[in-house]
Amino acid sequence: MQRRDFFKKGTTAAIAAGVIPLVASSCASTQDVVYDRKLDKWYHLGTGKTGMPSRKKTIGYDVAVIGGGAAGICAAVAAARNGSKTVLVQDRPVLGGNASSEMRVHLNGVNQLNNGEAERETGIIEEMLLHNRFENEQESFPIFDHVLYDFVVREPNLTLMLNTQAVDAEMKGDIIKSALCWQATTEILYTINAHIFIDCSGDGLLAATSGAEYRTGREGKAEFNETYAPDEPDGWQMGATLLMSSKDMGRPIKYSPPSYVIKYTHEGASLKRKFAGYHEGIWWIEVGSEGDIIADFEVNRHKLMGYLHGVWDYIKNSGKFPEAENLALDWVGSLPGRRESRRFIGDYIVSEKDMTEYKQFEDAIAFGGWSLDEHNPGGIENISEPPSYFHHHFDEVYQFPFRALYSKNVSNLMFAGRNVSQTHIALSSSRIMATCALMGQAVGTAATICNKKNILPREVAQKHINELQEQIMRDDVFIPKRPANDPNDLARKANLIFGSTTLSGDAKNLTNGISRDIDGAINHWQSDGLSAELQLEWELPIALSSVEIKCDTNVKRNIMMRKDSRNDDLYGNAIPPEMLKSLSLEGRVNGVWQNIGDIKENRTRLIKFKFDSMNVTAIRVKMTETYGAEHVKLFEIRCYA
Amino acid sequence: MLSKLNIVIILTFPFWIFFQSGSDVSNNYDIKIQHTFYVNHPGEKEPMEVVLIEIQNKDSLPIQYYMDVKSVICLEQVCKVIPVRIFWNNIGEYQNYKLKEGATLEKYEADLFESEDYVKLQSILSNKNSPFKEVKLDEVLTVVDETDFEDVDAVSGATALELNENDTVAGAALTCYTLWHWANGNMVALIKKNTTETVSNEQLLDFLNEKNKDYYLLALNELTKRKVYGEDFTNAVLNRVFKDANLLRASFKYIETAPKSIYFSVVKNIFERGGQEQKIAAIKSLHASPFEISKAYLDLFCVQIPNLKSFQEVMVFLELMQSRNANSTKVIDCTIPLLDANFLIARRTYWFLINENLDTLQQQKVEAFYIKNKDKL
Repeated sequence: MQRRDFFKKGTTAAIAAGVIPLVASSCASTQDVVYDRKLDKWYHLGTGKTGMPSRKKTIGYDVAVIGGGAAGICAAVAAARNGSKTVLVQDRPVLGGNASSEMRVHLNGVNQLNNGEAERETGIIEEMLLHNRFENEQESFPIFDHVLYDFVVREPNLTLMLNTQAVDAEMKGDIIKSALCWQATTEILYTINAHIFIDCSGDGLLAATSGAEYRTGREGKAEFNETYAPDEPDGWQMGATLLMSSKDMGRPIKYSPPSYVIKYTHEGASLKRKFAGYHEGIWWIEVGSEGDIIADFEVNRHKLMGYLHGVWDYIKNSGKFPEAENLALDWVGSLPGRRESRRFIGDYIVSEKDMTEYKQFEDAIAFGGWSLDEHNPGGIENISEPPSYFHHHFDEVYQFPFRALYSKNVSNLMFAGRNVSQTHIALSSSRIMATCALMGQAVGTAATICNKKNILPREVAQKHINELQEQIMRDDVFIPKRPANDPNDLARKANLIFGSTTLSGDAKNLTNGISRDIDGAINHWQSDGLSAELQLEWELPIALSSVEIKCDTNVKRNIMMRKDSRNDDLYGNAIPPEMLKSLSLEGRVNGVWQNIGDIKENRTRLIKFKFDSMNVTAIRVKMTETYGAEHVKLFEIRCYA
Repeated sequence: MLSKLNIVIILTFPFWIFFQSGSDVSNNYDIKIQHTFYVNHPGEKEPMEVVLIEIQNKDSLPIQYYMDVKSVICLEQVCKVIPVRIFWNNIGEYQNYKLKEGATLEKYEADLFESEDYVKLQSILSNKNSPFKEVKLDEVLTVVDETDFEDVDAVSGATALELNENDTVAGAALTCYTLWHWANGNMVALIKKNTTETVSNEQLLDFLNEKNKDYYLLALNELTKRKVYGEDFTNAVLNRVFKDANLLRASFKYIETAPKSIYFSVVKNIFERGGQEQKIAAIKSLHASPFEISKAYLDLFCVQIPNLKSFQEVMVFLELMQSRNANSTKVIDCTIPLLDANFLIARRTYWFLINENLDTLQQQKVEAFYIKNKDKL
């Protein structure tokens, strides 16, 4: 969809019927949306004047990120932190996408590899989840909404627009010049100009209207030599799920289903359709589509509400779940969580074998490791099939390339999340939110490189991929098999690095560029008890203004909020005890140690000291407390002029 | 925790059968002591009365413990409960289990354990960090198929317990859970406490020499409590810390509670005979010591300066001298040659010396170092 006539007609033009904003939270009619000034009869009693409200605004940013889920938040925060004036446009009243209180999907990532351990994502997504552990001990999804809100609005270079949907792209050649955005709560039609657009909205309406190539459905086996693809291509897309939760009332509670219930009997159901943990929602209450899954959404939502109550009626009234007698629904979703729709085409299309054969990409910028979790065609309307095939579980994490994150034919368009350039089978793994979040941080960072160098994303891939990789790793993203090697990092030039005590690992590991223990190798230094010190010595004095440390948060244990508050070796429900809490930094000037900074209540894995430039011959990090662990463990230290 | 104690002579259980390698010494010795405790098991709402049998050798050293427990917590009395005897060593480390002859463990729906299941159970119970350590009973009770972790979707993360094949016996998660918590739960601390309070000082000395570090650490704690610092004991500690630097922290905790003269002697010994880590630990201990340290004692350390190979050793040595033995002519004399050592050491020495009272010749040397290296300071 290209620029439309109404853009040219000025403020009194009527909007074309074909571009009525799809604002799910609005009940606005066409007339409400299109503010016809000639017919506006606003008489303001306070001023006694008749006038016309201003309902059109044009604003400009370096980077516009569309979609406020995990991918969009990470993209926007990365762009803003790296220096781009950024706007984050979210069509819902809350942030978080599938993990918001509106849908309550667990924010999963590489939760468990075949070795039984997690290989958790770091960077901005981890910072968000840690922020939640500090601010939301009660593990409430509505509070999580506000935690994410806080996480975004505190960024000085970032503007958040909620209840706002990007509905159309204004093009100039193959460049998106602006995004037309409808803000439902203010009746304002925004024209957002930006150098770079990043569509993290899942469905990708803005990207679609820009003319970016995309596909839906399942590739046939032959196209990418995929083992788990169907023999021939078809239109099936994995469905959306509607969740619920219940509570024990301590006494028998009756349940009668509403008028729109769709009866569920479980007759003929696959044995894989299990009810474990049903009191906190059932993921296979799912409806997909083999046609236009976006157009089908409202029909499918209605069905899902019927199925949800049908399954709950089965649980409560079939007699097969006597333990459910005291349970009552206390939250039911009304907005299904979507898994799949458009997949935009980039310079590279990620497919099954890239993942299962752990392909090494020169432009790797993210990783994944959730299973190939392809849901069955039909969802709950095809219950004889397993709800998912779980084709393949991974031994280790796989790489994800940058070339799959920008459009093949729209030059300033990138994407992150489930709508990126990949096959249906690849999506079955990479759609997981924390994986999407890593893509988000990569494109947000790439957008800033584009702005600084006045280039487009493809040129980042072709000429500046090393810079992108180094920056995201500095910002605590892990790229498998790609050690960091930042020439500006002065810690790597230290003549000596040592810890006051060493229980395991080696202080020298802290500059080896690998910020976690992985592939059977130890890349950490761990003190023997606390307090502990880490010292770096340089023969020649160096000017420093920044010291950055990556401490342990135990990436082998998941930290996302779960409905069951699970707390064991694999899932934690609190602040990681390993995380460093209190530390200070000293620099040695003319033989005398000087305090540079103190951090008493650290909340992040990546710990930064920024200070006025000073010439030192050594620095010393004094660590005095963790959140519970007896020893402190670090994975990296960097120093910058 | 309430406990009763009875000494029982010759209790024999001739019909118990081991399902795995391991030695049962319970029939080889005459002294068995019966302890009765009330302990919590996470699968039970109320504390349970249990009887723990302690086996002592002829020297009255506890050498093994065992206890008979039920194979499975059975909330609705529908499970077949098999008695299982669990064995620990004398510091509460699980060793093995055995069943009465002819008895078999059961899985769900009356399936019997296969021979490989007994082996796997032994492996599970031997794993102190088994997933059963932290899972809740209700999670175990909802398990349908423990080896199938495909039940978890990206959306809800359904709550079926996810256990790897190696972490459980398929179909017998509740048995694994029950027995793991007996083998690795509250009984461990009770056994450890009983042993440490029972053994003699001589037996603690043996513990100091045991290869298993847990014995060493247990002995150190108990010796600290008993305030035992005889030469045999400190020599045993010295031998250990020279071989294993990871024991330094615990060892110094013990040494630092010793009487002043013993403390100074042991620390000097560690400094003189130890490697880099031992030397650094000794110096840091002195640096933080509440004792007043004589100048003569610290001056003796100068002899070791040529043996300080690393920057870290020199650094902590100079820090100690600066704070506890400033302006010692002997120390200054010994450290002046370090100005000719590798540059990092020389520079650190320079910064030490410029704060000391130097004679003219020494001052000239220091100034010469400054002129030569002023751009690197």
